[in-house]
Amino acid sequence: MMQRKGKPKRAQPLLKAIWRANIDDHPIGLAWSPDGKSLAVAGVSGPITLFDGADGAVQRVLPGHALDTMAISWRKDSRLLASVGQDGKVRLWDAETGTQISEMAGGASWVERVAFSPVGDWLVSAAGRKLRLWNSSGDLIREYPDANSTITDIKWRHDGKHFAISAYNGVVLYDPAKSAPLRRFKWQGSTLTLEWSPDGKCIATGDQDSTVHFWIANTGKDLQMWGYETKVLELAWSFNSRYLATGGGTQVVIWDCSGTGPENTRPIMLEGHQHLIKHLEFQRRGMLLASGGNDGMLAIWKVNKRKPALLVDAVFKAPIAGLAWSPDDRNIAVSDESGILSIAAVRR
Amino acid sequence: MMNTANTRVPVTVLTGFLGSGKTTLLNRILTENHGKKIAVIENEFGEVGIDNDLVIGAEEEIFEMNNGCICCTVRGDLIRILGHLMKRRDKFDYIMIETTGMADPGPVAQTFYVDDDMQEKLHLDGIVTLVDAKHIWEHIDDSDEAKEQVAFADVILLNKIDLVAPEDLERLEARIKSMNSMAKIYRSRDAVVEMDKILNVGGFNLDRALDIDPKFMEPEYPFEWSGIYQLKAGTCEWVMGEGPDPTMGAALLPLANRGLAAQEATLMEAVLTFSEDEQAIAAGEMMRLGKGQYNEFVLNESGETVFNVAIQEPGYYMLFTEHHPDEFDARLRGAQTALDPLETREYKPDHEHDEEVTSVGITLPGDLQLEKLNGWLSQLLRERGQDIFRMKGVLSVRGWDKRFVFQAVHMLFDGRPDRPWGRDLRQNKMIFIGRNLDRAALEDGFRQCLAS
Repeated sequence: MMQRKGKPKRAQPLLKAIWRANIDDHPIGLAWSPDGKSLAVAGVSGPITLFDGADGAVQRVLPGHALDTMAISWRKDSRLLASVGQDGKVRLWDAETGTQISEMAGGASWVERVAFSPVGDWLVSAAGRKLRLWNSSGDLIREYPDANSTITDIKWRHDGKHFAISAYNGVVLYDPAKSAPLRRFKWQGSTLTLEWSPDGKCIATGDQDSTVHFWIANTGKDLQMWGYETKVLELAWSFNSRYLATGGGTQVVIWDCSGTGPENTRPIMLEGHQHLIKHLEFQRRGMLLASGGNDGMLAIWKVNKRKPALLVDAVFKAPIAGLAWSPDDRNIAVSDESGILSIAAVRR
Repeated sequence: MMNTANTRVPVTVLTGFLGSGKTTLLNRILTENHGKKIAVIENEFGEVGIDNDLVIGAEEEIFEMNNGCICCTVRGDLIRILGHLMKRRDKFDYIMIETTGMADPGPVAQTFYVDDDMQEKLHLDGIVTLVDAKHIWEHIDDSDEAKEQVAFADVILLNKIDLVAPEDLERLEARIKSMNSMAKIYRSRDAVVEMDKILNVGGFNLDRALDIDPKFMEPEYPFEWSGIYQLKAGTCEWVMGEGPDPTMGAALLPLANRGLAAQEATLMEAVLTFSEDEQAIAAGEMMRLGKGQYNEFVLNESGETVFNVAIQEPGYYMLFTEHHPDEFDARLRGAQTALDPLETREYKPDHEHDEEVTSVGITLPGDLQLEKLNGWLSQLLRERGQDIFRMKGVLSVRGWDKRFVFQAVHMLFDGRPDRPWGRDLRQNKMIFIGRNLDRAALEDGFRQCLAS
């Protein structure tokens, strides 16, 4: 393209590498401690490495799970890390000392999900159809009746008052203080993942049948979005609950939930990936969206209705395995399937 | 970046009723020194490492997609478990999935087509069905699952053959072939079979889409059985017990000698004879001999029925019967003793009146018009997708230098051009395996797709 005469030249944004590491394993979880001081990365073979968030120095290597670690979650105070794995266990680690505080039975051979409450002391784990609520000493508070099928995701509402699980047949909403579910959002299909809007009003889901749903939490109303290339595993809300970015293909599809909502609107489409998008993360308090794909590309987008733009991209050797913005939104942590871990800042 | 076809890990699905020997076969695969690292996904609980290999227990979670269409039913547990397995650094060379005895193999096969992650990293190599040669008869007539397991298979292992008589085994094999003519059939006891018979068979490999039993494409005969007898001048009797039908067609033709050429000539005469009008022969009546004489034996309502046979010229004769004589306990009897055939042969019947699940193979010379073919196939799969289990074909498309190969599981279709036709005769071959298939309608529909 020809550059128009007289147009002032603007400095290109760039990704400035802060530090790099290689865990030489397929990274599973990629989780900043809430205080931003540590970045925890679990390798599929088991060990969990805690890196110093500032310089990448290895703080601790936790043994994790002998038969593959599957998920990790930090407690709000950054002192405790929970992990689950294919040894059937939920483990709690003291991040400071690296010692295991507790080891609990998840209820089935593969424990796939774990989530600490964003405010309190509660921890939820899912193994197959088993759903268990624990406190952070590792005491079992409650075992719920089995879910309809394997639980695919657990997410707490941002105020910690409710949590929701997804499985075949949709979403079930719980209050951690009660044993009976609050509400069921039913869908005849396999729901793979869910995300609460930060204002807690809406639960978005991604489904195996290539649909995205918006469930209005207090009415149970379902808005269905279809037309995706493939199953949708990638969902990210903007902090103001206005935009939901979704994957399910090679384009980022962003629904605008302002005004009367996303129904019957044309989504914003971001093109650039050559292969399926696998990860999407919005900044916690900003409008930058990071996307990572099977093509190994990391892209940082500026999202707005009028003129969304690709700010900067970088290509990794292997498909992107994980993305996480640092709690202060300054840095993005990226891992690829070869085990490369890269922390970079977006500079303009 | 993307995994190419040849780096994908092959997957074999093992089906079969309870007691057919799946566990024995799996143990054999795991303990045999084949130098492969194998992951087995089975129905029993728990995860066990065996030397190099891994056994994972899975609970079958079958779910429907797109609002209840059976053709889009997949196994959610497999997507999850295999997705995790493929992340392991220490890759597996092979994956085996054992289904429960009552499972329909459809959802397992479809899982590898419907899910992108599965398709990218894994490929379905084949479906292996174990059949308990003794007990299958208890299921094969009225169990949909048993029929589906036979129908979907790329390889069928007739196991426990030591427990059945050879003639029953022949009968079973013929029955299974009539249901699924695409599958390779092997016999075994204690599930002993060479690994290369069941692993890397390429059943879902388009390059081998029509690497099928050539017998399937051989002409179909109006009779199921023939026997060669050496008969003396004089009379003998054809004795029949009660059977599945009140009548049976037959022809008795002289055979010049026992050489293959003479047999083929007599076979052709028999085909012509069976196209003549039948002549009813009642109990005690004389059977008509020779070319053009198509007998229809009419059985007594109960008990044995005896028909007379008069031989003027001594020598070899070939007896052709519409059904297998065993079905009627039928035999040729001399003055005092039974006359046994010197050799017998079974034929694939062209009538499958009592078989719900069948194979239909169609060969059609000429070029197809792609638009017509697409239209026909999509209509066919829309209307009959639930009943068509498997489909394979090699097609000659007008204007294309290359062969078009394809295969399908229910409605899920996978096809592409492969090698050039070169000097081969351009023709179209297609096989359908399914329930209540209408051969005439399929042939007609296929023929309509020819470029005019």
